[in-house]
Amino acid sequence: MTIERIDPELCNGCGICVNSCPVDVIRMDKESQKAVIKYPEECMCCDYCELDCPQDAIYVSPERYVPHMVAW
Amino acid sequence: MAIENVVETDVLVIGGSIAGCFAAIKAREQGLDVTIVDKAYAGKSGAGFAAGMGYMVFNPEWGLDLDACMKAINIKGEYINNREWTEIVFRDSWARYQDLLSWGAEFPVEEDTLLVKDFLPFGVVRIKRRKITPLLRSQTVKSGIKIIDRVMVNDLLKQDGKVVGAIGFPMDSEELYIFKAKATVLSAGYNSFKPAGAEICSLTGDGEAMAYRVGAEITCKEFPDVGNYGMNPYPAWRGGRGSRACFRYYTDAYGQEVKTHHQYESDLTLEFAMHAGRGPILWDIDSATPEEVDRMRKRMQHSDALESERIGFDPGHGGKFLQAGGGAAGAPNAQTAGVWPVNTKCATSIPGLYVAGECCGTRYLGAYHPAPGFGLTGSSVTGSRAGLGAAEYAQQAEEPVIGDKELSVLKRITYAPMEHKGGFSPRWVTQVLQNTMIPYFVLHIKHEKRLQAVLTVIEFLRDHLVPKLIARDNHELRLAHETKNMVLNAEMILRCSLLRTESRGQHYREDYPRRDDPAWLAWVKLRDEQGQMKLEKVPIPREWWPDLSQPYEERYPKRFPGE
Repeated sequence: MTIERIDPELCNGCGICVNSCPVDVIRMDKESQKAVIKYPEECMCCDYCELDCPQDAIYVSPERYVPHMVAW
Repeated sequence: MAIENVVETDVLVIGGSIAGCFAAIKAREQGLDVTIVDKAYAGKSGAGFAAGMGYMVFNPEWGLDLDACMKAINIKGEYINNREWTEIVFRDSWARYQDLLSWGAEFPVEEDTLLVKDFLPFGVVRIKRRKITPLLRSQTVKSGIKIIDRVMVNDLLKQDGKVVGAIGFPMDSEELYIFKAKATVLSAGYNSFKPAGAEICSLTGDGEAMAYRVGAEITCKEFPDVGNYGMNPYPAWRGGRGSRACFRYYTDAYGQEVKTHHQYESDLTLEFAMHAGRGPILWDIDSATPEEVDRMRKRMQHSDALESERIGFDPGHGGKFLQAGGGAAGAPNAQTAGVWPVNTKCATSIPGLYVAGECCGTRYLGAYHPAPGFGLTGSSVTGSRAGLGAAEYAQQAEEPVIGDKELSVLKRITYAPMEHKGGFSPRWVTQVLQNTMIPYFVLHIKHEKRLQAVLTVIEFLRDHLVPKLIARDNHELRLAHETKNMVLNAEMILRCSLLRTESRGQHYREDYPRRDDPAWLAWVKLRDEQGQMKLEKVPIPREWWPDLSQPYEERYPKRFPGE
């Protein structure tokens, strides 16, 4: 569902994903110095974080937080 | 009270999209001190890259003809494009393209990369977000522009009738930002209603809302963008990150073809079919020619469509994919709607305020978006012009002075949602707003009765829910201000849609299904007048009228249902 995971083993704490997100879904965890998913309900599946991550630590699922409803 | 950061600058650019970066770089080239502030990350943010996959370039050497380009826009824009701006964008596009090249951008200009040339007289080259955004960022840094990321500007500061800066707050700390600027460029425009599943959730119309609140004029909100999604059950492939501008074979529930004009046009055809009870509409890849499938695959590879791979979508395998209406719901027609520029330097009716990008209502495309690539080019052109205009203004402007009283009022407004212990969450109000505005029969197939009914709901949201929005931290404070801005944009869209008692381009009124010439060879312009939204009709210059002796059916090749 939306941004599904940031692998803490792979994350090097560079923070690129925090800046790639247009809607402030990802934050840096002060203690671990790794990126964490803070507000998944706002993820719009643009994939920018996953595409920009130099460590391939992020996986964005195509499923939306609020499922699509169609008219039929 | 929060710690206050006061940032003083000559030119403040709000929103670091392609328009904002162009504005900042051009202003900086004039030797001024320039600051960009962005609620996300300057260079990467903005509407353009949410949608963009093409960049329109006018170059006679590619066999393009200005008269043919102009004529195509006049007809497609159904004669209400601002021809002065249409010509400016075509003529300036080459220089902006050269700017991008000089910053290191690469555009493959081969035969098949001139995307629309086979169908329309325009030249549109491919653009790749991941290649362009780092260049915009590095060019702004290299130019010596100060960048403030992750700070949301929520209002402009106005003193003695002039815009002299802005106020905002960061995502990551509790501080308050006060910007004092001799001139301000707003490039934080375009609104949608954060529709679930569309990659455009950051577009909350903050620019238009802020400009409106300081008394600037807004135009052309009645023309909706018509982006749709292939759904299987998720968006199958985003042609340009969310448009259906990619394919033309649709069949309805009865197996009948749903005919669209051609593959790059996103008109209301699917909504009409949906309205007639012919849904589900399927995107029928089996009907495509091998060349079209090949082209589609190339474009998929180009648009970083991770999602398509993940749901197993491959055009080569064919199949039929569900199409859902109203994908980009809420977004007005790109480059047409926005703050009314009073000259070709992108100044507004408020001294000190300049507008760029989707925030700048040049109307250069009129009532209809003709093809991919026009948004990013229009934004580069207005960005560049706004940057130069703002620099010229700043060079002769006095040091900005901000009164304590004005500042304390805005501080209260900024933090109001934090003061409310009880009330309504921005997420819930946004959801109500989506459910109210997004259905196809509100924004796409309009009728006075429905527009009035929805306006009543939006007025209630505005008067009763928005003043009681709650926020527990700065993340929610951002959501609260975005929600407030989206509600205001919704009101603009509905009022413009009600006033235009005709159908034209992407604006369709069931109760007025024909174009009304010459009565509606006009633009709608609105502004705040003592707390009321006042609308007026501005006729287009007579020399831009179509030939009224030409039969209606020839003047307007497209038919609306019921006309």
